[in-house]
Amino acid sequence: MSFLRELYVVFWKEMLLWINNPMLPVVRALVFPMMWIVIFGSAFGGEVNHIPLAVVLSDTSELSIEYLNALNIGTTLDIKNTNLATAQKMLKNRKVYGILYIPEDFSKKLAAGEKVSVVLSLDETTPQISSAIVAHVTSATQSFSKNIALAENRVVVEKNTLFGRGIEYLDYLAPGVVMMTILFSALFSGGLNLIIDREFGTLTMLMVSPVSRDAIILGKIFAGVLQSITSGVVALAVAMLMGVHLKSGAAGFLLMVLLMFIAGFGFIGMSTAIGTRISELEQLMVVMMVLLMPMWFLSGGFYPIESMPDWMRPLAIVNPMTYATDAARSIMIRGIIWETLALDLVVITTFAVAMFLIGSYSFKKTLGGVK
Amino acid sequence: MKIIETHELTKEFNGLVAVDKVTFSVERGEIFGFLGPNGAGKTTTIKMLTTLLLPTSGTAYISGFDVVREAAQVRRRIGLVPQRIVLEGDLTARENLLFHGMLYGLSRRDIEAKIPELLELVGLKERADSKVRTFSGGMKRRLELVKVLLHEPEVIFLDEPTVGLDPQTRRKIWEYIQILNRERGVTIFLTTHYMEEADYLCNRICIIDHGKILDIDTPQRLKDKIGEGDIIEMEVSGKGEKFAQALEKECGCQIKKMEENRITITARRGEYALKEIFFLADKLGVEVTSISVREPTLEDVFIHYTGRGIREELVPGSGMMKYLTRRLKQ
Ligand SMILES: Nc1ncnc2c1ncn2[C@@H]1O[C@H](COP(=O)(O)OP(=O)(O)O)[C@@H](O)[C@H]1O
Ligand SMILES: [Mg+2]
Repeated sequence: MSFLRELYVVFWKEMLLWINNPMLPVVRALVFPMMWIVIFGSAFGGEVNHIPLAVVLSDTSELSIEYLNALNIGTTLDIKNTNLATAQKMLKNRKVYGILYIPEDFSKKLAAGEKVSVVLSLDETTPQISSAIVAHVTSATQSFSKNIALAENRVVVEKNTLFGRGIEYLDYLAPGVVMMTILFSALFSGGLNLIIDREFGTLTMLMVSPVSRDAIILGKIFAGVLQSITSGVVALAVAMLMGVHLKSGAAGFLLMVLLMFIAGFGFIGMSTAIGTRISELEQLMVVMMVLLMPMWFLSGGFYPIESMPDWMRPLAIVNPMTYATDAARSIMIRGIIWETLALDLVVITTFAVAMFLIGSYSFKKTLGGVK
Repeated sequence: MKIIETHELTKEFNGLVAVDKVTFSVERGEIFGFLGPNGAGKTTTIKMLTTLLLPTSGTAYISGFDVVREAAQVRRRIGLVPQRIVLEGDLTARENLLFHGMLYGLSRRDIEAKIPELLELVGLKERADSKVRTFSGGMKRRLELVKVLLHEPEVIFLDEPTVGLDPQTRRKIWEYIQILNRERGVTIFLTTHYMEEADYLCNRICIIDHGKILDIDTPQRLKDKIGEGDIIEMEVSGKGEKFAQALEKECGCQIKKMEENRITITARRGEYALKEIFFLADKLGVEVTSISVREPTLEDVFIHYTGRGIREELVPGSGMMKYLTRRLKQ
């Protein structure tokens, strides 16, 4: 029997089992993330700090410098004073979350007692961040007016959103939920499946058969990945039914599926490796609490990483979920902009390859018996 | 060529020798049984023979193929029904068979063609499309028995095939095992800790305890080995020892076991010996409170070799007593 056919047989049985009861696994994977949205989604509200914002000073008079100083007060913003071209590039590469443009006639108009507009262009992908920027800029503008003893505030902040429409919390939350669904589904299809297989001895059925050991491992992993993707697509569909938009239409959707595929491989590999280490369901619950929950909470899925205390940020940076969620959010809100996606995709692909290798290696090791 | 042949097959688990230099061979067409208590090393032996476990040392061949070096050849030629049922409960009987056949490279069409006949064989034809989850323990066992027939193995390994089944279902399974063996010509290697099962089914029995083989022979010859005649067990009150000595001297009985006032003896013709026993008891003023005469069983053989019963460890200390009282009641 050819290797591909062997692979197909193993895969076929896993999928048959899954399809026999299609609602259960999908619902199971969706329930936790959805539940947590309800419980935590609205309750979260950390302070957002150190948000990078580019400021373009076309006017370098004393008054503008004073305005800049007013903006610089506090830890909310990290002001990057630069020219317009660089600022725009930084915004695209997500080095900054917005640009505050101060026009050439800023001090002239103020001196003449006229109103003057500063333009705030925002990347609204993270609504908490853009609203924090707006709030800070508004209050800084007011105190600036007071400082220079103007009778009334004549500086108008003009908002300019980058991606067209107002982004709401649900838009922000949905990509994380999709990725969390993949993660959960992978835990069930990889680790849990493996434990049950061993517990009920159904793995023995494969082990005594002449099917090659590699086909057993790959067949199960592929089936797990396909099951995870399916759960992820269902989660995405649910989100879209609830009004979440997906930028770039069909191409965006396909890219989302590709992302789910890559992330699915990583998470299935990870949960397979876990499944080979533990033998009881209770232990899997512990893994869920100590690994999966932090992976989600520390991924920027609920609330931006910028709202985390400084000591916690490194945890988000080493968390693969951070990159998966960020990539999904970029695709769904910004559309396909390769410059912004590159880092995420590289990290998540590396993670997937590593986890796939670790997962299949440890699976092979625990299969035991004669090779 | 022998279908199974092992030489000093050994398995150690971190210093614990689960199977200790086991050497035996099984002929084609035989029903061969491993009889031993829990923990004797039966499952471990089966796992090594079916390539699920690497032996620590020694060799084993199935149909001439080495279980370690030629595992793929071995796997093609064997069927395993493990101690624990390994059917997919969420799949139907048909789907389980389909999956099994496909694992062995059979085409869907060939498998579908065989399914009705196989299910008919074990009386499950009507349940072909029910989920296995809804089956009783006996039905699952039956399905497993025919499942392994799909790829036409030369030898089938049955690990405790009737454990946990009620006596009636057990009888049924025994019948099916005999049908497989007789009508299909499949060699059967089974393990059990029920001596009735080994006695009823096996052409030859290998008695195993603590990983070591104690004896291999036909059930009849094994029973003959422990002395001729019937076994008489009795309980007496008073002067047990003296009574036993007298029995040996005057009735020509053999003392097998003496425990306080319980005496087990063998006598050439049990029914006639009874008369003499009661006569002697009267003479010595000993009261026989209970007595039973029976033919020797494999349990006696096991006790003969190990000094304890096969199921003793299930109810520590009281196993033997339970067994005797049950015998007396029958
Ligand atoms: N994987 C294992 N690791 C350690 N010890 C084991 C393992 N499998 C079996 N054993 C030990 O080997 C002995 C024989 O077990 P087993 O072959 O299952 O006995 P049986 O099937 O006759 O009841 C027992 O003492 C058991 O505890
Ligand atoms: Mg056993």
